[in-house]
Amino acid sequence: MISSPGKSPSKSTRSSPPPDLGITSHWYTLLLESKGGHLALFSTYLFTIFIKWCVSLNGYSGQGVPPLYGDFEAQRHWLELTVILPREKWYRYDLQYWGLDYPLITAYHSWVMGIIARCINPEWVALDTSRGYESDGLTVFMRATALVTEYALYVPAVVFFANRWIGYAEFVPKNVLILLILLQPALIIIDHGHFQYNSAMLGFTVWTIMCLIRGKYLLGSIMFCLALNYKQMALFYALPVFWFLLGRCFIEKGGFRLLIKIACTVVATFAIIFALYSTSLPDVLQVFKRVFPVERGLYEDKVANVWCAISVVIKLRQMFDLQTLVYVSILATLLSVLPSGINLFLSPTPKRLVYALLNSSLGFFLFAFQVHEKSILLPLLPATLLLLDEPLWSVWFNNVAMFSMFPLLKRDQLVLPYVLLLLLWNWFASFSIRQASKNAKIVVLLSYMPILLVHTLEATVPPPAKFPDIYTMASVGISTGLFLVFLVYFNYRQFTLSDSSIPSINNKLKRT
Amino acid sequence: MHQLKASGKSPSPTGSFIAGMSWRDYAPLFLFAFLVKLFLIPSYRSTDFEVHRNWLAITHNLPSAKWYYENTSEWTLDYPPFFAWFEWILSHPAQLFDAKMLEIDNLQYASSGTVLFQRLSVMASEMVFFAGALRIVQHVRDRRHRLIFLGIIFWSPGLLFVDHIHFQYNGFLYGIQLFSISAMLQNQPIIGAILFATILNFKHIYLYQAPAYFIYLLRSYCFRADRFSFPNFLLLGAATIGVFTASFGPFIAHIPQIIARLFPFKRGLCHAYWAPNFWALYAFGDRVLIHVARIIGLSAGVETASLTRGLVGDTVFGFLPDIKPVHTLLLTVLSQVPTLWKLWSDPTPARFIDSLILCGFGSFLFGWHVHEKAILLVLIPLSLLVRKSPEYARIFYVLACTGYYSLFPLLFRPAETVIKTITLVAFALFGHHFLAMLHSVHGKSSSDFQVLPWERNYLQGLIPLFLYTELIHPVFLGPDKFQFLPLMLTSIYCSVGILYGWVILYQLGIS
Repeated sequence: MISSPGKSPSKSTRSSPPPDLGITSHWYTLLLESKGGHLALFSTYLFTIFIKWCVSLNGYSGQGVPPLYGDFEAQRHWLELTVILPREKWYRYDLQYWGLDYPLITAYHSWVMGIIARCINPEWVALDTSRGYESDGLTVFMRATALVTEYALYVPAVVFFANRWIGYAEFVPKNVLILLILLQPALIIIDHGHFQYNSAMLGFTVWTIMCLIRGKYLLGSIMFCLALNYKQMALFYALPVFWFLLGRCFIEKGGFRLLIKIACTVVATFAIIFALYSTSLPDVLQVFKRVFPVERGLYEDKVANVWCAISVVIKLRQMFDLQTLVYVSILATLLSVLPSGINLFLSPTPKRLVYALLNSSLGFFLFAFQVHEKSILLPLLPATLLLLDEPLWSVWFNNVAMFSMFPLLKRDQLVLPYVLLLLLWNWFASFSIRQASKNAKIVVLLSYMPILLVHTLEATVPPPAKFPDIYTMASVGISTGLFLVFLVYFNYRQFTLSDSSIPSINNKLKRT
Repeated sequence: MHQLKASGKSPSPTGSFIAGMSWRDYAPLFLFAFLVKLFLIPSYRSTDFEVHRNWLAITHNLPSAKWYYENTSEWTLDYPPFFAWFEWILSHPAQLFDAKMLEIDNLQYASSGTVLFQRLSVMASEMVFFAGALRIVQHVRDRRHRLIFLGIIFWSPGLLFVDHIHFQYNGFLYGIQLFSISAMLQNQPIIGAILFATILNFKHIYLYQAPAYFIYLLRSYCFRADRFSFPNFLLLGAATIGVFTASFGPFIAHIPQIIARLFPFKRGLCHAYWAPNFWALYAFGDRVLIHVARIIGLSAGVETASLTRGLVGDTVFGFLPDIKPVHTLLLTVLSQVPTLWKLWSDPTPARFIDSLILCGFGSFLFGWHVHEKAILLVLIPLSLLVRKSPEYARIFYVLACTGYYSLFPLLFRPAETVIKTITLVAFALFGHHFLAMLHSVHGKSSSDFQVLPWERNYLQGLIPLFLYTELIHPVFLGPDKFQFLPLMLTSIYCSVGILYGWVILYQLGIS
């Protein structure tokens, strides 16, 4: 008894019953069968905004911790910088206090938000005097900007992606996928708990993927330039995008002309973004100097990255000078991402693109120089997009990634939302483990045991005085080990993908 | 396309203790609500949070004889004895979370352990409400209708606002009431009476509904075939008095003190924020008349403490006659007489519920110092009637949207604006959808559930009201300037809809 679902286009011609995707699929099925299909997306939005806003009621990074505070203050400070100072000073003003070190689109974004903030309450963005400003009103404003950015940029891209990836007709799985992507715990807790605007860069990335898999290469290149110019971390994705475009140029008709066009588009996009800022060379160079601070060190803080993990055994930083380490890490990174890149170049299909984005960003995360623990969000994005293709691994990866950020979240007093988001997401995605084979279930559940052990010990036993960081290092060790497993597995999956897998490029949308 | 195997297994009904329902069906409804409420733990807490912490400390540290005399905190114990015992029981697990919350002079204490414990205690006690709702819906045959009905009762935005954000323990009391109503429906009047007497001894606000219980039990149980049955009367009396003895018996020497605490008539007619009832319109009428008089040069003669300044004292009107508690009592009783008369002449369980709702409604509209939260007294029992007819569903929908909206000023911080708005929008949208589904006719595309055009317009009017009171006014005038204006507008607008709902509901209940 499947009735037409209101406004949403659906061809309910399935002969087999849809796969049981758990509790959330029951909800969408109920809506569909009660002629409420048009309400499905709305219910997803309402629920996810509700949850994200609840998370944002918790603390943010650096709340009430002078003199430097944390990421929240950094973002607020950038509103102040951009809205008050002339442009050439954006990347030069008092660099010791949260100097702007993200590329230009972030600066423009801050500038727009700063103008709005100044209209509401000029004290929030007053030069210098607003440092460390904390009030309920400011918190609500900043939280709201993160939410609006996400729902304006990231969410529509995800909805389009799910429609394309799953197909318009598959009403229930499509909506389940959208809901699960929007409830991805790591992104929620970093953007709406800790406080950052990762959804902007990730949003541009999903738009890039959307354009590329629909064959709109030029638009895709523009989107990717925007992602790069929002956060330099998007470089983690640059190689697969490059390999994919290059590969397509060898396949498509008029490939050489396409290649030239793409190159011109990229150069033009960069030129426009920078021209809006300044035409003087020193200004432009200063942006680059701020965005790529090589002198900072091999890794920052404790991060679940190979260099940090092996530092327990081998003190690399004492054995080699900085320059050598930079070369070693670059070499290791390139080696780790090269196979997947070449594979994508030889066979540039949509599915392989998403896998390659995952493999490349995970390789970068594990082996690159100067990585933040939050950068795990980059490999998580393609991994989450693949949730219905790799249910077990995608959920597993997400859980481990959350765990890898736990030391940071604990510092920000985000333990409660950490637990709740994981519970909610794993409940909604519990079909992933239910449908897995018995062996897979055992392996995954076993891998959670050390994680639970670390959590239990950390909650009950204070760390020994000799090793104050022991829990953090245990978390780094466990996460790095599992990330390496994921890297191998997803590489294996990319190489063994059957090329018949849909969706393919130029497959006109069924909607028309 | 993706590697999901379609598992053909359908959930088998296992372990059902409620007739015809398996836990697989209803557990997700509870768990989902539970999770959402856990997410709300860091949200705004009113002074009621401190009130209940203080009661935990009082009952934990002092012998029961001193409970109603302790006044270190201004939030003295002013609920009946069962509630005090409830706090006493809660104070034991509270030690495991944070023993410091149990110190009487540790005022305003709100460590994360304290917040977690108190919030969790509300959620845990609310399981009674869920069980009561399950009992009410168990006779519904169709599985889907049963779940939707359960959702409409259990997922009340009002309880979410009042219990899980603002902080109170209404859920489990309404749960006991649902059990009481269910017993009455199943012709077990003694159990129904005992349960009702029990909640009365938890929270005396339920006195508002007592006339309906009294009349119905007297008529249907004590009169059999128009002849007074003295044994039945004795039995009923003994049961009720038994409950009161259990409650007040241990406090026999302190009853005057308890009564003084339970009924503080020193408070004014209206609360700082006028509950959207008859008196809100009355007070508003008075304001208007004062201004009219000023304009035409008549001296009103009184420049009194304004109702709207937040003073909880005696309310003095400028133009209209002053109101004393006895007037409100008279009006309340008058509003209840017709429905009680009808109940007396036709004592069926269905009429009993109608009457119960209308008694609570009359008290809400005409009572002395009524809180806006008391609208739950109308809306929770009314939610049990959404399947009765499309008219009941319609009036429930209109009253619930208006009544829950009228709770918005309770959660006044900007941070909760998103939460309360989403909750109400979700209720308005999906409540409408599923009420229509409950009353859809097989084979017809439209539903018998139709919100009338003017009702729809009225509810849509809440949107500009919301935009003005929650966004435009605080951003452009600042939250402190003309603070009374948004409150008054909300209260006046909502009282119109609520009075309208009362009239319609009275027509339905009397016919």
